[in-house]
Amino acid sequence: EIRAATRALTRSGPAPVTDVAKLCVCDLLVAQCDVNCCCDPDCNAADFSLFTTCSVPIVTGDSRLCSQKAAIYSLDVEANPPERIFKLIDQVNPSVFCIHATNYKQALSFSSPEMPTSENFDQLFKRFSSATFSAEPDSWNMNTDAQNPSDANGTYRYEYGVPIQTVDAFLRLPSPVVSSWCSDANPAGFLVNQATKCTRSVSVEKCGNIQAVSMLFYINSSILAVPKSSQMVNITVQSIVVQSLNGMRTLLNGSDVLRLPMILDELCINIVLGVSYHITYTDAGEIIEAAASFVLGAINKEALSIQQSFEISFTQVNTKPVPLSGNPGYVVGLPVRAGFRPQGYPFPIEILFAALVLNTNKYSQLTILQSTNQDCLAAQGARTPILFGYNMISGCKLRITAAMKCKPLTQTLLNLLKGQSFPEYVASFGNSQTHNVLDWVPITHLHTSEQRIYNTFQSPCQIPVSLEIEVKWTKYGSLVNPQARIVNVTALITTTTLKQLPSGRERTIPITSSVVFTDISSPAEPGYKAWPTINAKLPFDFFFPFV
Amino acid sequence: LSSVPLQMLFYVNGIYYIFYFLATLAMIVYKSQVFSYPDDFLAPDLALLFIMAILEVLRLHLAFCFLRGSKGNLTEEEAPLGLSLVITVGSVLLSVYFLVWQTYVLQADVIINAVLLFTYGLESVLKVIAIAAFV
Repeated sequence: EIRAATRALTRSGPAPVTDVAKLCVCDLLVAQCDVNCCCDPDCNAADFSLFTTCSVPIVTGDSRLCSQKAAIYSLDVEANPPERIFKLIDQVNPSVFCIHATNYKQALSFSSPEMPTSENFDQLFKRFSSATFSAEPDSWNMNTDAQNPSDANGTYRYEYGVPIQTVDAFLRLPSPVVSSWCSDANPAGFLVNQATKCTRSVSVEKCGNIQAVSMLFYINSSILAVPKSSQMVNITVQSIVVQSLNGMRTLLNGSDVLRLPMILDELCINIVLGVSYHITYTDAGEIIEAAASFVLGAINKEALSIQQSFEISFTQVNTKPVPLSGNPGYVVGLPVRAGFRPQGYPFPIEILFAALVLNTNKYSQLTILQSTNQDCLAAQGARTPILFGYNMISGCKLRITAAMKCKPLTQTLLNLLKGQSFPEYVASFGNSQTHNVLDWVPITHLHTSEQRIYNTFQSPCQIPVSLEIEVKWTKYGSLVNPQARIVNVTALITTTTLKQLPSGRERTIPITSSVVFTDISSPAEPGYKAWPTINAKLPFDFFFPFV
Repeated sequence: LSSVPLQMLFYVNGIYYIFYFLATLAMIVYKSQVFSYPDDFLAPDLALLFIMAILEVLRLHLAFCFLRGSKGNLTEEEAPLGLSLVITVGSVLLSVYFLVWQTYVLQADVIINAVLLFTYGLESVLKVIAIAAFV
């Protein structure tokens, strides 16, 4: 009985109130008198005497009806104390088009919405809902027919964005969904380079049980070379880096052994902290190779969660990709591309056939000294690539003792400032090809000295103390989408005199290197079309009889 | 027996009906714009209005047949008049529908339908008298 009653109650909402005498929109406080609300049933005569005005003077139904009831509330301020007057009258609409009657129940009021019950829920959901996400990866399987169009004889291939299929499901790249916790349902898309970081909850007790921290989980299933085929590509382990508890990483020599999580000395070791997939594909959309590089770490008893990072990158077979720094103009933040002209091509004619050797090794790019160590000689050659648009300055302090000789010191400092292989040419555009020699700007080397050398005969020792690279760039192309183009690169070396020190004494001089990017684009001049001219000419024989 | 008042009434009825039809049609269009008038309420109203127009044309044609006859003279035959009376019943019912059971009954609707019903009533009385004169 009670269940039937509650079912009836939930099926329809509360009955609407239509009696104008009982309706009161200003009655907001329950069991309390609202101020200046003349229709409030909680107010008594004493409250009414304190009101100044009636906030709701009239309550009526639809005014388009010919005759309707109206409740009028007003305050009689003349009386002492003021009292409220309530009148219930019939309001008449004088227009000839007033509604005399209506046989359509919902004509003059808002319709109450259908209450959802277990019977009509699915139908209401289909009517009113929009797109929703599904949490189960199994539902992906039904859509693969639509996603992979096949040729007439049934050959399939991977296309951009299509999830990479493995034997059981899809190649998973765990990523954070909604919160930062890892979700294993994110498939890796073909040719979509992704890098994700997410948090996974771990504990030392469940060391061997959590699948997602074991190497096997990531290389277990083989990738299908093309969708829906039986040709499989095994995931090989390319390299393993072991990270200790304090963060130090070591590259392991033999990467054939599969290292599974195990407990050692109250630590759980061989926990996967990062996976980096490298997939090689052909231009026919087939995957031919898959390799994974792992970073394994260890957790102790206090650790409740670890952060895992995942990455996937795609390379086409038989190509060695060179990353562009812009297309065509340089993008701020990408490294400035530089290179060398190979020896043996000095003549201008052969410049057309020469190729610039582009080094993908980042330490042969245009680099600048990285300030890792205060002492220049202990710097160990750490260099950072120069990024377009970022002015950088770095330096160190050089301690000069009496025992130092001029020439070796000069050579050491030049190596320090310029690096092992300082390039000769810088690409003028972010996507300059190596065979267009004219697209490359030579680096101009300048030399200046801090002190003026008066006496050249006695030429004292000059040691380089600062390298300033100035990159002049301009905006090139259309006004609405200007592209950055490097026009000129100068490397200025400043030298100073090294005075012979008395033995035992030391001197410290600062060594600096800097990069400055200067915008030398001339202000844009918009081109206007010529003023329209009136091209009015009389016909040739206009004045025929007379001319 | 030539019933001149009946003839006059038929003419008046014809002219008034044209006005009634146009007015009701215009008001249905007005209602559909101003009020919420869904299609499954609008369609029956319009259909009945057109049916009423057809019935009215038929009825008046039969009535004039009675008055003029095929030869152009005023002949007096009871069959067309009787048929016309029967059709009048249908017209009265439709008029009552537009007075009471329409989706929206405006004050103007009430007025013109009342006048139409009064006209029908008067006509029916005169027709009955005319038929009774033969029988």
